Amino acid sequence: MGLLDSDLGKRRLLTVEIPVIERYNEDRDPDFKIQLVRLGGTLVLRYKLQPMHNLYQLETRLVSSYPMVPPETRGLTPLKHCPHLLEGQTLCMWRQGSTRMTSRWDPAQFTCVFAVQAAWRWLACYEVWHETGEWPLPEAK
Amino acid sequence: MAHIFQVGAGSGGMPVLDMICRDPRVTAVTLIEPDILKPHNVERHPFSWLDVGQPKAETAAAWLKERRTDLQVKLFVCDLLDRDKQPEIEQAAAACDLGVCAADNEVAKFHFDGLMRRAKKPWTLGEVLSGGIGGFVHWFVPGGPCYGCVASYLQRATDVDKSPPPDYSQPGGPIQETTVPAPMAAIHAVASLHALISLELLGKGNAYDPGFTSLLWSLQKVPDVFDEAFRPYRFRVPRAADCLICRSAGSDYRAATPEELDVALDQALARLGRD
Repeated sequence: MGLLDSDLGKRRLLTVEIPVIERYNEDRDPDFKIQLVRLGGTLVLRYKLQPMHNLYQLETRLVSSYPMVPPETRGLTPLKHCPHLLEGQTLCMWRQGSTRMTSRWDPAQFTCVFAVQAAWRWLACYEVWHETGEWPLPEAK
Repeated sequence: MAHIFQVGAGSGGMPVLDMICRDPRVTAVTLIEPDILKPHNVERHPFSWLDVGQPKAETAAAWLKERRTDLQVKLFVCDLLDRDKQPEIEQAAAACDLGVCAADNEVAKFHFDGLMRRAKKPWTLGEVLSGGIGGFVHWFVPGGPCYGCVASYLQRATDVDKSPPPDYSQPGGPIQETTVPAPMAAIHAVASLHALISLELLGKGNAYDPGFTSLLWSLQKVPDVFDEAFRPYRFRVPRAADCLICRSAGSDYRAATPEELDVALDQALARLGRD
């Protein structure tokens, strides 16, 4: 019972996720548009972001149980090890707790484009950290 | 003559099931529970060491039949999300008068919410907080707030978890926190509230209005969380107009067949990238 193999999941994609991706892509430079690829039971968003001077390639995976579990975003461009970078170049963007009380992901309010925007913010912090050694946002609690 | 459709017969679900099924109005129950009873369950479960290794669903059915010989019990010894069982599970949801959710994970709660909304049936949900410091009971009716509306509201309105951040060294989706097991007395306190609200909702239907949609009951005084023990916190959560879980039910694709959905999805993927 997942995103790509249930009517419920397909409706979520067609009515929520795909329209917001298309709005994001509208009038955007072709190099910076989100590309959506199916990989087995997972959907992958591939895109580029340039929050400051450097260009980064990223991918955000919508796993089968998305949106009940948050999307996972990793850098395809090599990133220097930093306090908010997890194994496999995965960006630590929100507290991914397993209960409602401990998770910062909200499937009733957030879409996959929110994850792209969160990645942009993460990269902006990363660039500051790269220059100053300090992460400019407080730790997730 | 009421038919209950319950998911979960763990340490929290079993007492709820037992209390609800003692009510003479309840004549049939459909239970979904995939797990077997393990040794560590015995401390917080009504079942004994003799039942270890048995499916919890079957042990629960035997427990109920010993007390209500007239009760019709149908079991699904499978996960609520079991793909092959979905048509039967959908039918069971459509045939019930009240849904009772005692699942302990978010994916199952959202799935149960979807089942109940499609079947247009009222349902309840009980949640015991880590360590048994308190618990939530929520009730839902067709057209009211969905679990997504409630979860989103409570994520922002309440802060009932002060545990340290999880260890991020293992990425890959949600991280299972180390939770402190709740004592059986706390589980039963929340289960009793869950059963009471379920039976009230069953009796009054759409006229049920206790003044809240979610009840948080503290069982312990916990610094920075609960100022005092045994205090109720009532939340009247509205349906969120922008909720992405229940809003899409009224979309263009509501009446689309599975084949039409596949075609539309393939076209969208072709537009947005390589399939």
